[in-house]
Amino acid sequence: MKNIIAFTISLLIISFLYADQKRDIMLPDMSIKLLDGKNTRLSNLLEDGPILVEFWATWCAPCKKEMIFLEEFHQKYAETGFRVLAISTDSPKSMSKVKSYIRAKKHTFLVGLDPNQEVAKKMNAMIMPTVLLIDRNRKVSWYHQGFVPGDEKEIEAQILRLLDSYSILESKK
Amino acid sequence: MIRIILFVAISFLYAQMSFTGNTETRIGESSSGYYYNETLINTNLQYGAFTNWIQIEYSDPPELGRPINGVRKLRLEYDNGPIQLKLGDLYEIWGRGLVLNSVDDQSIDRDTGIRGLTLLYNNDSFSSQFVAGKADISQSTINALGFNNRRHNYQVSHNLYGLTIQKFIRNHDLGFSFLQGLEKHPVNTFPSDTIEIKNQFHSLNYSYDNPLFDFYSEYIISKSYVFDEDRWKSHSNGRGLYSNLNLYFNLFSLNLEYINYRYSSIDPISRFNIVDYYGNSQPYQNPPVAVYIHENVLMNRISHQTDFNNEVGYKAELIGSFSENIDFLSIYSQSNRTHTWVMDENFMWIKDQKLSSFPNFDPAATPFKEFYSELTVRALQNKLFFKLGYANMKDIIDLLQNTVTDTSQSLTYSLTDAKTIPLTLSYSFSNGWSIESRIELQWLKKGYWWYEEKNNQIIADSLMSIFIDEDGKRINQETNTFISFTLSKSPKWSLTLTSDRTSVKESFIENNSILNPLEKFLGIDQDKNWVNIEFAYHITSSMRFSLLYGSLKGGLLCTNGVCRIIEPFDDGFKVGLSTVF
Repeated sequence: MKNIIAFTISLLIISFLYADQKRDIMLPDMSIKLLDGKNTRLSNLLEDGPILVEFWATWCAPCKKEMIFLEEFHQKYAETGFRVLAISTDSPKSMSKVKSYIRAKKHTFLVGLDPNQEVAKKMNAMIMPTVLLIDRNRKVSWYHQGFVPGDEKEIEAQILRLLDSYSILESKK
Repeated sequence: MIRIILFVAISFLYAQMSFTGNTETRIGESSSGYYYNETLINTNLQYGAFTNWIQIEYSDPPELGRPINGVRKLRLEYDNGPIQLKLGDLYEIWGRGLVLNSVDDQSIDRDTGIRGLTLLYNNDSFSSQFVAGKADISQSTINALGFNNRRHNYQVSHNLYGLTIQKFIRNHDLGFSFLQGLEKHPVNTFPSDTIEIKNQFHSLNYSYDNPLFDFYSEYIISKSYVFDEDRWKSHSNGRGLYSNLNLYFNLFSLNLEYINYRYSSIDPISRFNIVDYYGNSQPYQNPPVAVYIHENVLMNRISHQTDFNNEVGYKAELIGSFSENIDFLSIYSQSNRTHTWVMDENFMWIKDQKLSSFPNFDPAATPFKEFYSELTVRALQNKLFFKLGYANMKDIIDLLQNTVTDTSQSLTYSLTDAKTIPLTLSYSFSNGWSIESRIELQWLKKGYWWYEEKNNQIIADSLMSIFIDEDGKRINQETNTFISFTLSKSPKWSLTLTSDRTSVKESFIENNSILNPLEKFLGIDQDKNWVNIEFAYHITSSMRFSLLYGSLKGGLLCTNGVCRIIEPFDDGFKVGLSTVF
């Protein structure tokens, strides 16, 4: 028990010290398979503007709650070139349901497939849902693990912050 | 001079490289002596078309599995246009996994990865992949010495190579795969020995896609040979079929799945014996199952374990919306073995009737069936969320006896029969605060069904329950209650109190919970109750800390049709920290 307490305190101290340091996370230009069967590259997806990537699965309840709001943001900021890409990590056991779920829910955002979680590993998505906001230079501007009700406000605030930094909204006006 | 050149070279390379990674640390210690301490570090390094993934583990011991201190996984990838080359630890899926689906599922310590190389060519109309390597796959089995819940006790080595090709023509997709595995299979002999086995798989797949429906089907043939007297002798033949049809309507989608796996027919008591029965379905295959993956805790604990060697089944899933804010989901799934089984006069199992390609519910074919339905309602601009479900599941796990004569029958089988109601309710306040409550109720019958008929008269037709009450008297049904309450302040923290309660104890299993001060403080009955409290805090957007105190009920943990028994965790702390860098 002493080990745990000592380790926890050390971790907390290191973590709080680390928390103030910001470092750019640049993602590799990886290949992503889309729901329509076509392969694309991350750089191609970023041609029109920044994207928000969500890692989800058909058996993940918080992921599906989050997707309702992501659909809203995908439509709301589509004019700015912003898009949502929801990458399913469903294995072949539940892969067949991905398309029927997306169609039934009438989601219009982009859907990717990552059954062996190779893309998730490259994007450091360890738990589901994980959300990443990626700018046009493949730099991760925001990262968030898990979803609790209310997180959608923070997600939208981060999208707006990124779009503002591009002055995309102003230029469109 | 060399140092300067090296410094310049490293500086140049570093400027061209991108480096990301993550860490995950988990520590737990309970008063019953359950202890684990593990840290996983994943790093991704990219230089031009090259990517390098390294996973380092420090564990002594890990929560499940054997301790590792050093590099656990390593892969180098070259990805340039249509060509991709990977060297190292590979996790590849061909089609829907009937031939190859190597996984690394650390929640149940299942690793079927291949250490080797793969070359992939992919363009808009054609793709092909060659793979070659070695898979050392370990599993837990009671049929080998040293069975342990936390560590695997049986390892089989496979040398694999294979090729898959796919051709895309407009909406059509046609593919062929071949995979061969040379297996060194340890057997229960003294002194220990291994058998050399050659497993070959050939498969054909076809898919079609249009806006109204899509279809996928894959057929596989397997052959195995045993090396004996300096030559390969034919050992067994098998086949498998998986089909999926999705139909899209305006308000709903219908997802239909069908499985028909006939790799081998092993008698009811030996069918999960992977040591003495070989040359059948292989652990690197992992094909789809006709079982719904539940989101709730109690249903997952009694999940059906698929017999990948011999099972026929289907699943129909209807998902849709009554309106913008009301969704529904309804599922029916059913499966059984391909034959019924009876005992001969020497009480040896023999195959009886061959069943049709669609399952029915004959107890002599160890069947399974499940109905699940749920309704989801969102209101007040998605602030209020409500989900109510109902599950009814019946699973005949083992056939213990089935003797039939002209005038009598004696049939005994183990049965799990459960009705479950999961409920989720959450409300999100406008200032970032939210509350969520999950309640799951389950009425579970478990035991041995005994049916006895003599001279057309039924002598017995009843359940001998494995549940006993405080006085040692058998009772028919167990009531399980899982309740969790979460208070959270987005996006920083959440606090969850969970109570997991059972009404009776299972005979032969000591499942009493150790006294937990949290239960005492809350005034909850401590017997057969597992209470814990968990605090999760986002230190930064890329750093998450969690601390759990209390008890967790052990039991069956199933992912994707594969199950493992997890030990209970009593009166202890669990600490977790995950970071991204």
